[in-house]
Amino acid sequence: MIEPIVFLWPAFLVAVCLVGIHAYFGIQVLARKVIFVDLALAQIAALGATVAFMLGHPAQSPATYGYSLAFTLLAAVLLAFTRAWATRVPQEALIGVIYVVAAAAAILLIDRAPQGAEHLKQILTGNILTSGLHDVAVIVPLYAVIGVLHWLLRRKLTGTGPLVWEFVFYATFGVVVTSSVAIAGVLLVFSFLIIPAAIGIMFASSLARQLAIGWMIGTLTSAAGLAASFIFDLPTGAAMVCAFGAAMAVAGLLYPLLRGNRRSALRVAVASARWGAAAVLAGTALQLAVAPRADQPLIDIIEYALPSLRALYFTRTEETTFVDASEYAERYRIDAERLNDLEKRRRTEGETLDDFSVGRISSFLKSYGEMRKGEQFVMGEVRARARERMRWGTSVGLLTLALLIAPVPWRRLWWAGASR
Amino acid sequence: MALRFAFIAVCCALALPGFAQDRIEVVTTTTDLRSLTEAVGGERVAVVSLVPANMDAEEYQPKPQDILRLKNARLLVRVGLDYDLWLDRLLAQAGKPEIGRGGPGYVDASFAISVLELRGMSVGPGDGHAHGSGNPHYWLDPKNAEIITGTILEALARIDPAGAASYEANRSAFVARLRAKLAEWEAKLAPFKAMPIVAYHNSWPYFARRFRLDFVGFIETKPGVPPSPSHLAGIVQTMRARGVRIVVREPHEPERDVAFVANKAGASIVTLAASVGALPRTGDYISLFDANVEALTSAAAVR
Repeated sequence: MIEPIVFLWPAFLVAVCLVGIHAYFGIQVLARKVIFVDLALAQIAALGATVAFMLGHPAQSPATYGYSLAFTLLAAVLLAFTRAWATRVPQEALIGVIYVVAAAAAILLIDRAPQGAEHLKQILTGNILTSGLHDVAVIVPLYAVIGVLHWLLRRKLTGTGPLVWEFVFYATFGVVVTSSVAIAGVLLVFSFLIIPAAIGIMFASSLARQLAIGWMIGTLTSAAGLAASFIFDLPTGAAMVCAFGAAMAVAGLLYPLLRGNRRSALRVAVASARWGAAAVLAGTALQLAVAPRADQPLIDIIEYALPSLRALYFTRTEETTFVDASEYAERYRIDAERLNDLEKRRRTEGETLDDFSVGRISSFLKSYGEMRKGEQFVMGEVRARARERMRWGTSVGLLTLALLIAPVPWRRLWWAGASR
Repeated sequence: MALRFAFIAVCCALALPGFAQDRIEVVTTTTDLRSLTEAVGGERVAVVSLVPANMDAEEYQPKPQDILRLKNARLLVRVGLDYDLWLDRLLAQAGKPEIGRGGPGYVDASFAISVLELRGMSVGPGDGHAHGSGNPHYWLDPKNAEIITGTILEALARIDPAGAASYEANRSAFVARLRAKLAEWEAKLAPFKAMPIVAYHNSWPYFARRFRLDFVGFIETKPGVPPSPSHLAGIVQTMRARGVRIVVREPHEPERDVAFVANKAGASIVTLAASVGALPRTGDYISLFDANVEALTSAAAVR
């Protein structure tokens, strides 16, 4: 057994390094209001690498890094100037233009090269799960140098100084983003950049405290995302991005409780939760009444969690038909898997199966597939009919429940009506 | 004067397709089918493959030129089995019933192939394919090439009866050469019978069946979705338990993920071509297997 910790700790270490530098840059980026600048810079760097690839340089050669860096620096010059241009057009618009043009130009270029698409994909979609200590060995010194540089220049890099400091900011940021996107992918790097910084800014006003909060939240969320990705068998990057989204949501919910009037915040929270629940119930009631055969998300979820609830509205015959059909469907699936396994085993064990037997197996498999689909159709049909039958009663019940849950001041309305 | 030259140039350009008419224009979706069609058609056909060598045919994005190629073609050979689904929209746009489904110039090369790993509509866990109609990489069994060339032969003889005898002779020669080669490949791989292998993508069941290899796991569970940590941990565990020493990667597949798994389990990476032209020295169907067998045997010999 491979311990999950052994498997995940290099990725966690990389995540901590990335959070470390990106939370800082995120605070700067949020202050400058150039939220998507990391996407533009990463795309420009990828364009540079694509040009190098087109010129015949291998993927991870110094020449390719050189091209990437040169393109990033050019983009930094461009971005430094956009602040001056952005008098009538917001700077974000120009950043967006840089992003789409760089992306499109790269597509046009790689269209000329076989295997180019894969090359470009590798630059822009890193996978943090398969990163390791060799990545840490590269990024730690790099980020340390950039961090020290920013510390020394902290007075100059506030974003209101002359263009040259603006250029230094974008150039260093470009170097950071280019390296991190190749390791962790665009989506995750964006999360590292914006979410810890945003949470830090929400709850603190000095840079030091914002950074401390951002680092803490970023580290904890990364750990939670990695753990969730292992436990629930999810793609790591996407799971981590969703974990960061959840952290943002929790922070947003906690903010009024911690910073505003606690009682009124609680009252608003309870009221909106009740409104939400009432809306879901009313929507389900409406959907069931209007289209009983369509998907019923709420009922489906409840039935999935508690299959015995079906007994409430299935007749006994329907219940038996449904259970039979699901058992048969499962049996066909297992039979088909058994045949597939048999074929796979015979590839290496004993005599090989001849083409005729393989053909027979595949026609059996096809029939099992059809039969299984038939059973699934029966299940759907039985359930749809039962739902059609119970639709009015249940709809009225759900609507009543919705009205009870909704925070409407019934008593006051009642009194107002009575006293008139 | 310049205008006259331009006029002549335009006339020449217009006349060029006329010269090409001497040969029967055939379009295939993949380079493998191009190679097999050339083997049957010989000098009488001019074959182009829509998907360039070394590109993932399942994720190919057609270009405007492709419609033109279809319009000029008299024969179309496709992989089928949901492998080149993008072709259907292209065919609708080209609007040429002769090479459309059911037309005389339409060849689905999967015809009469014994399909492996058919799973109905549902995709089994860890199988790495979104295909309901079975695993589509059937050309990777050289024995299947006899069936494919037979199907192509029939179609070519149908649209060009004058060349039927020559096609017949070409195919017989090709099949004879292939059989001799197959015996050679089987002999080379015989010592590695039941050798456990891990691959990035499940492209190899037909290859495994013919050469009696055991592909025990795949890194990619679903096309385009990065593998989860528990899946990778499971793969590494299987590799250690079964003593897997080889991880197979195709040139267009991400190197990083493969290297990660191989390092963890102490295996070596072998790059194999699943299509003609995907690697150097895989210029036609037979050299494709030559190169793959060579790469596998030399990697397996280093134990």
